[in-house]
Amino acid sequence: MASPLLVLDQVRKVYTRGRVVRRPTFTLEANLVIDRPAVIGVVGPNGAGKTTLFEMMTGSNAPSSGRVYVAGTDIHKVKYRERDRLAIHYHQTYQVRRFRKLVPSILLEKSPTPAPMVHLFDEPQFNLQDGYIGFMLDFFRKLRAEGRLVVVCLHPTAAWHLEILAEIAEQYLLVADGGVTRQPDFATLTREPRFRSYLGPELTRAAEALCAGRAAARP
Amino acid sequence: MALIEVSGVHVRFGDRVVLESIDLTVPEGEFHGLMGPNGAGKTTFFNVLTGRVKPSRGSIRFDGEDVTGLSSHRIAAKGVARSFQIMTLFDEFSARENVMVGLPGFRARGFDMRHAAAGDRGFAEKASEILVTVGLADKGDTRAKDLSYGDRRALEIAVALGQGPRVLCLDEPTSGLGSDGVQRLATLVGRLKGKLTIVAIEHDMEFLFSLADRISVIHWGQVVARGAPHELQQNEWVKRSNLGRFA
Repeated sequence: MASPLLVLDQVRKVYTRGRVVRRPTFTLEANLVIDRPAVIGVVGPNGAGKTTLFEMMTGSNAPSSGRVYVAGTDIHKVKYRERDRLAIHYHQTYQVRRFRKLVPSILLEKSPTPAPMVHLFDEPQFNLQDGYIGFMLDFFRKLRAEGRLVVVCLHPTAAWHLEILAEIAEQYLLVADGGVTRQPDFATLTREPRFRSYLGPELTRAAEALCAGRAAARP
Repeated sequence: MALIEVSGVHVRFGDRVVLESIDLTVPEGEFHGLMGPNGAGKTTFFNVLTGRVKPSRGSIRFDGEDVTGLSSHRIAAKGVARSFQIMTLFDEFSARENVMVGLPGFRARGFDMRHAAAGDRGFAEKASEILVTVGLADKGDTRAKDLSYGDRRALEIAVALGQGPRVLCLDEPTSGLGSDGVQRLATLVGRLKGKLTIVAIEHDMEFLFSLADRISVIHWGQVVARGAPHELQQNEWVKRSNLGRFA
């Protein structure tokens, strides 16, 4: 059987302050297995660790403990220049390729795949006027159809952002309170109190209306 | 066989990846539009296509021949001409002289303008013909710096046409033009369409959707969508946007 596309095995990232007495200022824990191609939406308040999560998934930020496997390979043990052949990270419009080099590249492994299996899009810029949203969403679907995993982080500030989230993703990761929890669908995500408090009352109502509309549209 | 075949072109400048992987096939005579947000890699792709930037991976074939990594003048000699986003004209030269300087045989003779102007009528006639094509028939003696912005755009295309290209690459031809200028340029480009292969980067969607046979949408250094204008407009989000108007 093929390896799961993405595994975060007891991953824990701690940022500390102070040199002698180290006090943790930020902790993020994640434990999940995504075994098949999918489009996954990532949401969560600012500072909750969405970007840190993405960086750990693409091998640019090593976890304090635990392992990240992309297509069965520990991405933090792959040569820096070849990590983008496993997972690729776009911040808005640019590809992020900064790796903290802790070990000489020569001691690291080669990437087992020629093209990235995991594609992460960190707050892609959507604009209602120019129509690119449609092309971007179709592109995500195309990647999924080709057997890739697409992870899209969105910071909803308008009702149509929620519409995009509901349309494109089949499951969600909520990053909040130092953890990552999996939400099987948009309706479940909308019922999650931490998601609701992050959205605020107005967008929560928009999300509920969207769920009601989607439920009514279903045959 | 397609005239242009680009496969898996990847470009990085240091740690910065500009083109992830671009594939593009353009048959002879097609008008192929390229669109995409700022920073998507469109101009870099043009630089690869015309030999100004060497790709880190991937290949470019022109009329079946591998031209990957050839210098820009070699690629130009094979029949690929381009205009630039920022105009590149000789301001002190007349419109006709600008076109003459670009004629292939003229270059071989050297750059002595007095000699050229006095000596060889052939080049001047050829240049005048090209000026007629771009609608500058009566502006041949006007210095480039005295031309209007729209005329300068047209002159740039005339200079590119002077090379007798098989492929004309236009980098944002309508940038800086008012609606009259865009209309005029659309008429000019419409006349050229079908006579030679055109690849154009353009932000003016009305211009692109009305003229292009096919359009590739570039984002994140790759082609995220491709199709005829009416195919791209089927998308529900496109219908909701300003692009939906050009159906």
